[in-house]
Amino acid sequence: MEWVETTGKTVEEAKDLALDQLGVDHQDAEFEVVEEPKTGLFGRVRGEARVRARIAPKSPRPKNDRRRGGRSKGKGEGEGRSNQRDGQRSNGRSDQRDGVNAGGSQGSRPKSQGDSPKRESQPREERPPMDADEQCKVASVFLSGLVTSFGLTGEVTANLDEDDFLNVGVQGEGLGLLIGPGLNTLDALQELTRNAVQRQADGREYGRVVVDVDGVRARRRAALEQFVADAAKKVVETGDTVVFEVMSSADRKVVHDTVGDLDGVVSGSEGEDPRRRVVLKPA
Amino acid sequence: MSDARPEHACDVLEHIAKSLVEQPDGVSVEVVDLDGKSQLNLHVADGDMGRVIGKRGRMASAIRTVTRAAAARDGVEVDIEFVD
Repeated sequence: MEWVETTGKTVEEAKDLALDQLGVDHQDAEFEVVEEPKTGLFGRVRGEARVRARIAPKSPRPKNDRRRGGRSKGKGEGEGRSNQRDGQRSNGRSDQRDGVNAGGSQGSRPKSQGDSPKRESQPREERPPMDADEQCKVASVFLSGLVTSFGLTGEVTANLDEDDFLNVGVQGEGLGLLIGPGLNTLDALQELTRNAVQRQADGREYGRVVVDVDGVRARRRAALEQFVADAAKKVVETGDTVVFEVMSSADRKVVHDTVGDLDGVVSGSEGEDPRRRVVLKPA
Repeated sequence: MSDARPEHACDVLEHIAKSLVEQPDGVSVEVVDLDGKSQLNLHVADGDMGRVIGKRGRMASAIRTVTRAAAARDGVEVDIEFVD
């Protein structure tokens, strides 16, 4: 997973910017504050806040053995930064739970450990990640039950891809109700599905749940890209700034990504979530 | 009004709640008729309230969104309350 580094007047501002670039919500990201903003006399800001962020990794699978081996050698052998990679599973929600369980023997949460290796806070041996098929099953059982409760008919499919996205799709006729205005209902469904999986996997899940109905997300993304490309063209031609309406972090990422491939125009964001919007300016 | 009970909304609310809580048996939905709309009171077992409300009410708001969509099928406007 990629780290992005951003700056802002406050840590919060830098974090917001980072979330924009990552295109995820706060709860799906992990942060490292590289530098607090320095406040000068009379509260004038003299230095910017600097944070590093990335999408919180959820897959504990491949690291298990390596980590176990490492731990037996003893902790705190000054592995410092290089540890970051091995320890990168440490901030997932599931690990927090483990951290609490193991609080006594294994030390405290990574955050409070300063620069000692993170791996020691997560005894995973007794908690193998949930099988991919099982995660898919939990998600589809929840969603198909929901579709039935709605009095609708749809076929639910789920798969966990190599990027650890747990894609759950519903196909059928007249499912517009599940999408809602501006994908509101669909996003809510996705949130609920993710939580249902978390609840039932009890912290052993690792897929990032994406719920789609009749491929609407892909279609909408294509439409958004086209819309952004048109707007960008206008910016280049007229030299005017274009301010988009409020968008979710995921949509803002699509905008930034689209603009990133174009010449003569740059994108930025302004406002605070949930009322944050993208602005296109001539480069 | 009518005696139209928002069946779909109730089913959906119950299904969601049961999938999120530790004690599914503790989930029940009660319908209260108000003037022109229904109020759905969701009851959950002690200790499960946090799960249905979620961080900063995120779950609660997702539950409301989805349940209201279901209520549209019933042709009823609903309020959803979370009751201990």
